[in-house]
Amino acid sequence: MVLSGWEAVFFWVFAIAALVAALLTIMARNAVHSALFLISTLVSVAALFIMLGAEFIAGVQILVYVGGVMVLFLFVIMLVNVSAEERGNEQLFNRPAQVGVAAVTLTLLAFGLIYAVRQGYEGLQRRDEAALAVAAEQRAAQVRALPLSATRTSKISRDTQQVGASLYRFGSLPFEIASVLLLVAIVGSVMLARTAKQEKAADDLDPEQLADIARLEPESIE
Amino acid sequence: MLRCTMTSLLALFAPPGFLDDTLLKFFSAETVNYVVWPFIQIGAVVTAVAAWAAYATYLERKISAFMQARLGPMRVGPWGLLQPIADAIKLLTKEDIKPDKADPYIFFFAPFISVAAAFVVFAVIPFGPDWGVITDLNIGLLFVLSVSSVGVLALILAGWSSNSKYSLLGGLRSSAQMVSYEVSMGMALVGALMFARTLSLSGIVSAQGLDSVFPGYIIYQPLGFIVFLISGIAENNRAPFDLPEAESELVAGFHTEYSGMRWSLFFMAEYAAMIVVSAVATAVFLGGWYFPFAWRLQADYPNLFVLISLTVFIAKMSLLLYVYFWLRWTFPRYRYDQLMDLGWKWMTPAALLNIALTAIAIFTVQALDGWRGINTVESINRGVNLTATGKAIMIAFGIAGLFIAAAMLSLINWRSQDFNLKKHRRQLRLVDVPQGAPANAPAVGATTTAVPAMSEG
Repeated sequence: MVLSGWEAVFFWVFAIAALVAALLTIMARNAVHSALFLISTLVSVAALFIMLGAEFIAGVQILVYVGGVMVLFLFVIMLVNVSAEERGNEQLFNRPAQVGVAAVTLTLLAFGLIYAVRQGYEGLQRRDEAALAVAAEQRAAQVRALPLSATRTSKISRDTQQVGASLYRFGSLPFEIASVLLLVAIVGSVMLARTAKQEKAADDLDPEQLADIARLEPESIE
Repeated sequence: MLRCTMTSLLALFAPPGFLDDTLLKFFSAETVNYVVWPFIQIGAVVTAVAAWAAYATYLERKISAFMQARLGPMRVGPWGLLQPIADAIKLLTKEDIKPDKADPYIFFFAPFISVAAAFVVFAVIPFGPDWGVITDLNIGLLFVLSVSSVGVLALILAGWSSNSKYSLLGGLRSSAQMVSYEVSMGMALVGALMFARTLSLSGIVSAQGLDSVFPGYIIYQPLGFIVFLISGIAENNRAPFDLPEAESELVAGFHTEYSGMRWSLFFMAEYAAMIVVSAVATAVFLGGWYFPFAWRLQADYPNLFVLISLTVFIAKMSLLLYVYFWLRWTFPRYRYDQLMDLGWKWMTPAALLNIALTAIAIFTVQALDGWRGINTVESINRGVNLTATGKAIMIAFGIAGLFIAAAMLSLINWRSQDFNLKKHRRQLRLVDVPQGAPANAPAVGATTTAVPAMSEG
């Protein structure tokens, strides 16, 4: 797909916004500012999804990531106030280990990018115009068959139905496995985060059990 | 005379493409469709909603006054009708105070995020047919939910950036509360979506018109409507769920440090968000602008039809807005743990149950179609369209769903308050121990009974 007109303008605006905000996410000194830049990245990516015609994914991205995950992020950042002022003077870029890892990753990324661009360019060179025309005709016919929206200026696409149908027809098992995995992660994180010390503080353990723990692993209670 | 004005009014609204033709003289068709018309509509809606939000404060004060046998604002204008304007002028001219140690950028931006999130949603609200709707998205309802969920951010950021403990507490409360109730609010709508078979809000309204249900999907989905309304009120931080700004505990919650214009932006956003929730409830559960027999006007007086539809929509919406004020002055505030209980133990299971019951109901009605000459479904392509028999069965399912949900929820929550994990555990451990004897743990390595006790903890 070759971008043109307003589509190109919007693509470049959102793509650059996503990249700049992603950079600022790791460069911001304040954790809350980082979270805000991450939100900007997510919103820009959602806009790119809309340009791809994946409106449902874009809506879910905003709903789940911005409205849910990032709100909880902010919640945690505010609760666990990493005293920003004291750590504000830390050097972000001058540690050898960090610079080394970053350089290696950057090299890998650069090679990957060059490879992808070459592949894409070769693909563009030997594309089959006739097949493309047929595919475009099919797409246009599909779009014509769609119902009109209430304003009569656009069509109501069946994007959501397609996502739902393919998710539950072809991807229901991975979907369920992923949800169980998330549940396990939640239970596990609660188990890991709740120490014997906390249970003692909450008076949530039997005294005998506490005595056992104190005898077996005294460092866990202190 | 009256007849004359009526005819002239009708004549004014009669020519179907009068405005369009005028605009087409100056602009191309594309510009008119995608730029000029949307701008006119957006301008009208933003002005109307802002004025409405201002007058909602007046209504709130009046209604609360009447409920408490007072008069309410009476001084500015007749019956105090100019009070909102006086308030607006006062707020505009007030000093804009910024706390010394506040985070300057976030403190300045938070009110704008709040207002933008509340107002952008109006783009997809179907106020009426034809020109009564600004845009019609294929993900309309999802758009409403996702953009209003961004509004939570504004509250949290305002609370955090003010650098004050009351604000921070208000922000934390609001994030926890809104994340909890967003779940049930979104899922309460799924039942109605199963009937409409589309996410587009205009599509949902026309599906209800096609099925000619009056007053809307509320008659198939009473449980969904109740859950949506309660969650919506909680989502808007309105009493009895106004924990984030509980004035008796937190001064003013997340907007304690705000003053002047910025404070009024939060206020406007709150009322606009109330209007959004009422509008979505109207469109999804109360049939939107659909009114029986009004469609007969569509062919001859299209603009009059749109005006009547607009009036119907606004009337239904105002009814729901009144419920907000009514509840605010009727119920005391929830305690925080009660709020979370209601959200997670009552509203979310109820919404899930509603989805399951609706699926069963639609499946049954479809299965009954054609069985022993019973005819239940007329068409299913553009939303479920039922015959009279099908409607009766569906309404019966809806009402039965209320009772089933009440039974199931009370079963889930039966004595959930008395449940004490520690006591329970101790009872389990003491089963073999004779009464009165202390439950001493055996010495390490002496017996194996110490091992299950460990793994239990």
